[in-house]
Amino acid sequence: MSENILVIGGGPAGLNAAVMLSELGVNVALVERDSFLGGNPKKFKYKFLFPDMQPADNVIGELIKKAESGGNIKVYYSSEVSDFKENGKKFDAVIKSASGSETKTFDSVIVATGFEHFDPARDAKYSYQLFDDVIDIKDLERMMGENNFVRPSNGKPPKKVAFILCVGSRDRHVGNQYCSRVCCTVSVKQAIEMREHFPDCEAYIFYMDIRTYGFFEDLYWKAMEEHDVQIVKGRIAEITSGPDNTVVCKGEDTLLRGPFEIPFDMVVLASGMEGGPQSPEISSKLGIELDEHGFLKPENVTLSPFKSNKPGVFLAGACTGPKAISDSITEGAAAAMNAYTYAVKNR
Amino acid sequence: MEYDENGVSIVPADLKKEIFEEARKDFRYEEYVRGCLNCGVCTGGCPPHRFFDFSPRIVLQKMKSKDPELIWTMMDEYVWACFQCFTCAMICPFLNSPGGVIAILREIAVRRGFESAKKVLKPYSRVLLKLTAYGNQLSPDMIQPDFFPDWGPHIGYASTDLAVKRKAIPMPTLQVTNLAWDVAPETMKELYDIFDEAGVFKIIEAVDPSLYEIIQDIVDDVRSS
Ligand SMILES: Cc1cc2nc3c(=O)[nH]c(=O)nc-3n(C[C@H](O)[C@H](O)[C@H](O)COP(=O)(O)OP(=O)(O)OC[C@H]3O[C@@H](n4cnc5c(N)ncnc54)[C@H](O)[C@@H]3O)c2cc1C
Ligand code: SF4
Ligand code: SF4
Ligand code: SF4
Repeated sequence: MSENILVIGGGPAGLNAAVMLSELGVNVALVERDSFLGGNPKKFKYKFLFPDMQPADNVIGELIKKAESGGNIKVYYSSEVSDFKENGKKFDAVIKSASGSETKTFDSVIVATGFEHFDPARDAKYSYQLFDDVIDIKDLERMMGENNFVRPSNGKPPKKVAFILCVGSRDRHVGNQYCSRVCCTVSVKQAIEMREHFPDCEAYIFYMDIRTYGFFEDLYWKAMEEHDVQIVKGRIAEITSGPDNTVVCKGEDTLLRGPFEIPFDMVVLASGMEGGPQSPEISSKLGIELDEHGFLKPENVTLSPFKSNKPGVFLAGACTGPKAISDSITEGAAAAMNAYTYAVKNR
Repeated sequence: MEYDENGVSIVPADLKKEIFEEARKDFRYEEYVRGCLNCGVCTGGCPPHRFFDFSPRIVLQKMKSKDPELIWTMMDEYVWACFQCFTCAMICPFLNSPGGVIAILREIAVRRGFESAKKVLKPYSRVLLKLTAYGNQLSPDMIQPDFFPDWGPHIGYASTDLAVKRKAIPMPTLQVTNLAWDVAPETMKELYDIFDEAGVFKIIEAVDPSLYEIIQDIVDDVRSS
């Protein structure tokens, strides 16, 4: 008799966990709250991925194909775990979907419920939703993904675009002190893409620290060296409207200009990642811990980042904190290995 | 007072250290000075930043440096450029209060009767007198064109025939022009006690000794009445 393992969340982390378990012959129930698999990269139609600009479809599309064709994976779309109980060392879960509820017993569980994009409307100084031409990185991913890179206000191609880093991250006013880790690299990647495809559009990046950690730094150098992206040190204090249908970024260039007010055709906010409403929900439903940042808390952040505090329940991907797709996929594999070991031991 | 090539007054190193220690001991210090991301949001939102070479980010950075030399460079002019609007405190992602730090430094300058404080407070001596001696802030006779150029083109007219104009106001106005309202002697005495306790008279003595004497004469009169 083969093991039964529940995977909650069908983003990169959950998909890879499900695929690996399926290859081991495990029966996987993959519960996804959306009507499609792929998580945030799919939802916002990411087109090219950092660090190597490969088409997102190579990664996400591949994983989805494997999950949907893998004989041992049963995907529950538009569904959720509505009830969850421990049953000795196993777990009884009720999976609720449009077609009704199903109760099943699982040997172990992987939580891969991911993140939510910070909603920039929560920080009034950026005037998101007030001005059409203020968008954020997920909006831009979608625009690029749909080949529709124009100013929302008038449908014309922009000539000068600003990227503003650390929106919704590293700011106590919005309650997020942490760094969202990927938004520097995403912004630099997007600036490069923009300059490649629309060479007569200028790109500015306003930063307080550029955190293109590790090899992602290559993109940062490339942005300056090959694509003439302007990098300005200073966080934006306010976005207002300017003459000729522009949006004006106001701030202090802490190195060069001092005070500035620069008009742009379009502003892209590098909104960070949050634990979203799903993290506390899953935390209370499954009886696992939430951390002080609003993400799920690993048993030991260094030794076992993929384990929850509850034996038999494992964690993978951005549900434990901001991270890149490669890390999420790696954690999916690590959680799969651990969930499998637990299941086999307690069979 | 002597100044160096940067326009900073020359004082002994010990005094600079004392000023820093005094600021650091202030009960608000820990709340106002946390960490600083050097992000410039405070400065980007600071109104005087558009007119002067002034940056609340620099204020916080200098304070964090704990370098008495650097902090002293702000004591002559820098701290007086701030409007005390506290926009910086409202928008700082670290929840610092550069404006609050400036308030602490200014209070030190005033308590110690520094030249800069004397210069800045000079135009306010009439307000200080009315306030501390009579419990009034502005009175009709203070409305003079020279002092209120920003009150618009009719300030000249407004400052003449005060007694007559006062009578035209349809509510009790004491019919006097040297006070805005009557403050009972008992209330004045209580006010003086508060000013004494809070060290207000001491501060005035430090920044404007002759004004202090005038005020004390009035205070003595009222107290002995
Ligand atoms: C704008 C942007 C661009 C990025 N670009 C890149 C890039 O180019 N390269 C890169 O390496 N990384 C990139 N990232 C990071 C990448 O998005 C994440 O690393 C990755 O999406 C995390 O995968 P995940 O599976 O953990 O979570 P998610 O992608 O968030 O997926 C979680 C899934 O769980 C589902 N779910 C949530 N709650 C429940 C529930 N209660 N029940 C059932 N299902 C649930 C969700 O619907 C979702 O499908 C980018 C991030 C941002 C913000
Ligand atoms: S990754 Fe960059 S933009 Fe994102 S929060 Fe960290 S420093 Fe800010
Ligand atoms: S309180 Fe002072 S330093 Fe702060 S924003 Fe206002 S004027 Fe600038
Ligand atoms: S806003 Fe706060 S953190 Fe940023 S430079 Fe000013 S004092 Fe420092």
